[in-house]
Amino acid sequence: MEFEEYVSARGQELVRLGFTVSGDYQRAEDLAQIALMQAFRSWRKVRNADDPHHYVRRILVNEFLSMTRRRSYSEAPTAELDPQGAVPDHATDIANSDDLWRALATLSARERVVLVLRYYQDLDDQTIADVLGIKPSSVRATASRALASLRESKLRLSNKAKSH
Amino acid sequence: MSNTDLEDDLRGTFERAAASVPESSGLTERATTGAQRAQRRTWIISGAAAAAVAAIAIAGFGLAGSNNKPSQPPVAGGQAPVSATPTPQPPTAQTVSGTWRPLQMAGFKALKAARPSDPVLVFRADGTWTGSDGCNGLQGTYSIGQRGAFTATSGPQHLMGCDNVPHTGVLKAAKRIAIDGDTLQFFDADGRQLASYARAR
Repeated sequence: MEFEEYVSARGQELVRLGFTVSGDYQRAEDLAQIALMQAFRSWRKVRNADDPHHYVRRILVNEFLSMTRRRSYSEAPTAELDPQGAVPDHATDIANSDDLWRALATLSARERVVLVLRYYQDLDDQTIADVLGIKPSSVRATASRALASLRESKLRLSNKAKSH
Repeated sequence: MSNTDLEDDLRGTFERAAASVPESSGLTERATTGAQRAQRRTWIISGAAAAAVAAIAIAGFGLAGSNNKPSQPPVAGGQAPVSATPTPQPPTAQTVSGTWRPLQMAGFKALKAARPSDPVLVFRADGTWTGSDGCNGLQGTYSIGQRGAFTATSGPQHLMGCDNVPHTGVLKAAKRIAIDGDTLQFFDADGRQLASYARAR
């Protein structure tokens, strides 16, 4: 597979992945571009990997985590989901979903990445561990902590909304 | 809320978020250009080191009193001189046929920059030309009329960024060509020299 073919087939998926982990459209584009630049530089190696997309996805996720560790990183305000581009849904579900999206912004970068890889990318814990270079038990612990935090944040956000 | 409900909500939220991402355009170009720029910085550093080594070697040979022929004088860059009448060797598709390397181009000073591929022009006797601007493949057609009248067209090409050698600009602006030995010269409508090339092989 040539680089151009890969980008044309999977490039947009990378931008989407960038958005689900960062919550920021511009940063999502930057993450996809950085991941693709790095992949392009060693494309022969990437192309010969068992799963080239897994390889590029790993670059993107780890670039995001490195980015958040830098002193210059500032938490971007979580973008409101664009209803124009969203799949039509029941009104209540959308409201719930938006609460959850805001609650996701309260998680640490690693917690959010683990949830994205698990529930958006549908990766098993072993694969997530491979992407992040940690043990599967750490993935499980991080996911469990993240879910607990989310439940609390979501409850808090709902109560706040009711009191207004 | 059970874990399963929360997990289902999460899947839905991520799907909605992903679906809201606007379509991205030009990802391939941005990634390849960015990577090449980074690579070019490396080449420039390596090129500078190689040039320094070459300069030392040349200086060493000079001190040793080598009888080598003097090297070609450096080609002047920048503003191109108004040409004298080119040597009247009538150029034809047969005589320009072959591979040419740029020696000088009016207003283009980065001919010696490092590039992924050799920035050559290849003319074929069948009226087609191909080549490389250093980063992208080029192609088109050309015709040579009486007394060196010249026209050329160019086909579609990629636009990967580097110090792209503007062969296409030269070919499109050229109205007349001349061959002087192993040198091919291009002139615009006012007789101003646009570029000169040396035969590579």
